[in-house]
Amino acid sequence: MKFTPRTPREGINVSDVHPLAEAATLIAGLSAILVAIALVIVFFVDLVILFLPPKLEARLFQNLVAEQLLSAEYDTPQARALQGRVDSLAEQWPDNPYQFRAGILLAEQPNALALPGGIILVTNTLLQQAESENELAFIIGHEIGHFKNRDHIRQLGRAALLGLLAAALLGQNVDSLSGSVVGLTMGGFSRSQESAADEFGLQLVHGTYGHVAHAWRFFERVAEREGDLGPFASFAASHPSPGDRIERMARLAERNGWPLNGPATGLDGLR
Amino acid sequence: MVAAQQTGLILSNTETVPGRRIVEFYGVVTGNTVRAKHVGRDIMAGLKNIVGGELKGYTELLHDSREEATARMVEQARSMGANAVVNVRYATSSVAQGAAELFAYGTAVRVE
Amino acid sequence: MFEIVATLVLLMVTFFIGNWLEKRHYADIREREHRLREFPVVTFKTIPATWRVESSQLAQGSVVVSVDYFKRFVAGLRGILGGRIKTYEPLLDRARREALLRMIEAAKSDGCDAVINVRLETSRLASSRQGGKGTAGVEILAYGTGLRLAQ
Repeated sequence: MKFTPRTPREGINVSDVHPLAEAATLIAGLSAILVAIALVIVFFVDLVILFLPPKLEARLFQNLVAEQLLSAEYDTPQARALQGRVDSLAEQWPDNPYQFRAGILLAEQPNALALPGGIILVTNTLLQQAESENELAFIIGHEIGHFKNRDHIRQLGRAALLGLLAAALLGQNVDSLSGSVVGLTMGGFSRSQESAADEFGLQLVHGTYGHVAHAWRFFERVAEREGDLGPFASFAASHPSPGDRIERMARLAERNGWPLNGPATGLDGLR
Repeated sequence: MVAAQQTGLILSNTETVPGRRIVEFYGVVTGNTVRAKHVGRDIMAGLKNIVGGELKGYTELLHDSREEATARMVEQARSMGANAVVNVRYATSSVAQGAAELFAYGTAVRVE
Repeated sequence: MFEIVATLVLLMVTFFIGNWLEKRHYADIREREHRLREFPVVTFKTIPATWRVESSQLAQGSVVVSVDYFKRFVAGLRGILGGRIKTYEPLLDRARREALLRMIEAAKSDGCDAVINVRLETSRLASSRQGGKGTAGVEILAYGTGLRLAQ
């Protein structure tokens, strides 16, 4: 047995695939799979919702007792005046299956919320800042739009399916699953859902007043105060930027021939 | 492994190739692969852990990895001009969560 | 959005640093392998008839290599999609060759002229920070019997 020193060729135990190329392929592959899963979930949920009658959904959520999650006033004179406005707006929606409940939330920011089960909350700050009933009506109408488009149950369905998939594939705990489902449901709606709610809200406003003047004053004030943050910020935010919303509403009014001028209605009893 | 030996390179995990004589030895040759399993196999394995039985997916995966590692070792030996690899040993180790390294090594020799 | 950009930047930085360190290590390994190529290293126990052994002792060499962020990230993605983790291959190749070289250098400095019955062991050092699930490094150990030969 003779020893002859020899070395093997270089690079046999190494691949000639560049690491950055491997990383890029993996990232692209994974992203494509995630996008595909998201699309399938959205499609599936939308399909199931077609078979879920709105009356059943309204009854299901009415028992969710969402009103205990936030402490709002439902019985003050202002709240009852608000209820009257909500009811008159809702009359413009003939197939309304909900028994809307209006409440006033004490908060520092002007805001309005739609909670599962037909609860519409408006903050006292919003009532203070509003210049006319018309702009308040548009905001309430927007929230009613969310109910009409069944955005709540859509979000709930999507969040539940996504959470289930994540738990199955990645082995997460079921407790944290329910927490994230609630978070995602209450967290907000997609931008297209917000635009659709805007459109329905404007429709309700026109039906009530005969015109859409002063309807988007609130957003004009927001735009003036904060300035337009530009396309990048609005991409990341869940709501479209105020400027975009105003533009869409103006175009919608023009398309439908809704008058842009008219008297402003006062806010009696609401402050 | 069968393929490698069909092309003439002999593999043996004994000191020498039985029935042949080593005339020259060159050095250590190695071959390895690192493979990860995907979530699909993971889920199947999880189910099998409840009912028991062979994890066919994993058996296949590790068998393929071992073939690949051996092929690399053979390629190293061939590039040294050897016609056999003796004292072949295999090792499996975990190098990352959910990934295993299959490692084959031996000494490249010339037999007649 | 910001997190995605930050992650990408970190990946690129760790990749370039890791790549540079790897190339340097490989150059060093090749140089030492070339210098030590006349040193017989085998995995079998048979001693050639022409060798006269004076004494023997155990020789070993080991190294622990760390896995940089880029490699860990790619390995994590592979853990979902499956397949060969090609970025780990140079890591293990380097570590193994380094461990063997250290064994040879240790044997040589002890006066040995050859090493037989070489064995190689790989183990993963778990990261205590991630509860034992992460990888802090990979250790490769090479050991064998060093022989002192009468010339």
